[in-house]
Amino acid sequence: MIYIYTVKRDSEDWILRNDWYFNLYTCNQKFTEEEKSIVRKLDRAIVSDDMRIETKYGLGTVRNLSSGCKTCLNIIKNPGKTVSVEECGANVLDFVFQLDEIHIYMSRPERFHIREEVEICFNEKDIVFGRRGYENWWSEEYARRAESDL
Amino acid sequence: MIYDLIEFQAFPFSYSLRFEDRVTLVRGDSATGKTFLYQMLEDLRMTKEYEAIRLFNYKTDNFHSSLAKMQKSFIVIDNADTILNEEDRKFINFEHSNQYMLFLRNCDGLNLSAGSFMVLCEKGKQITLEREIKF
Repeated sequence: MIYIYTVKRDSEDWILRNDWYFNLYTCNQKFTEEEKSIVRKLDRAIVSDDMRIETKYGLGTVRNLSSGCKTCLNIIKNPGKTVSVEECGANVLDFVFQLDEIHIYMSRPERFHIREEVEICFNEKDIVFGRRGYENWWSEEYARRAESDL
Repeated sequence: MIYDLIEFQAFPFSYSLRFEDRVTLVRGDSATGKTFLYQMLEDLRMTKEYEAIRLFNYKTDNFHSSLAKMQKSFIVIDNADTILNEEDRKFINFEHSNQYMLFLRNCDGLNLSAGSFMVLCEKGKQITLEREIKF
């Protein structure tokens, strides 16, 4: 199940500033081989054992990864947290929606691929399946927002 | 417009960024070099030609009040989805003396045209801005 929250909450269990949180906390945890392969896929970056990276822009540290990639790693390495995906491009969201039992914050829809069997729970009440369910929920949400003049 | 075109070399890349609207949103996939561009602009703004560039990101102190004072500047905001509030968006709409390049996905509350929505494109080592919406 993917838990989506569409209203921002100010809580210690929420990560809203992904770059900041990653640079201060997440990147101090060692990356597994699977996480390094995620970085290679999303940012086309090779991560060394001492957490340096090599990309087409040159050499750096994991703090130089893209905000989208940092968001993805914040989700994976902090399972108890709700993580904002507001800065993620479709390439990262494609990947995030292949994960399970994650909690994310998104205030608006984005177009990307979601498999039909993916179970999504909006705001702890509405459960839908796959891309069709996701898009239908957002259509209804926009109708609700229009009614409420939001 | 403050700048119709921003051009510079960042070996091995060559940037040629042409702007079509006073407000440009740079969108597209993650890892297309938006933050790298921002870091290059930090140096570029030290030149005479590009001294109108002003840069903001999530590390900027007093972001909202600093933005509200800007005039006749080319304003670049990274992490804009995280830091822009409703008042900032109103300021961007109404302070016409500024030009804006925003690394932003959520366009709610902004007055935009089709030429506002851009993505960074890499052809060979040449990096340009191309329209995201093509008719």
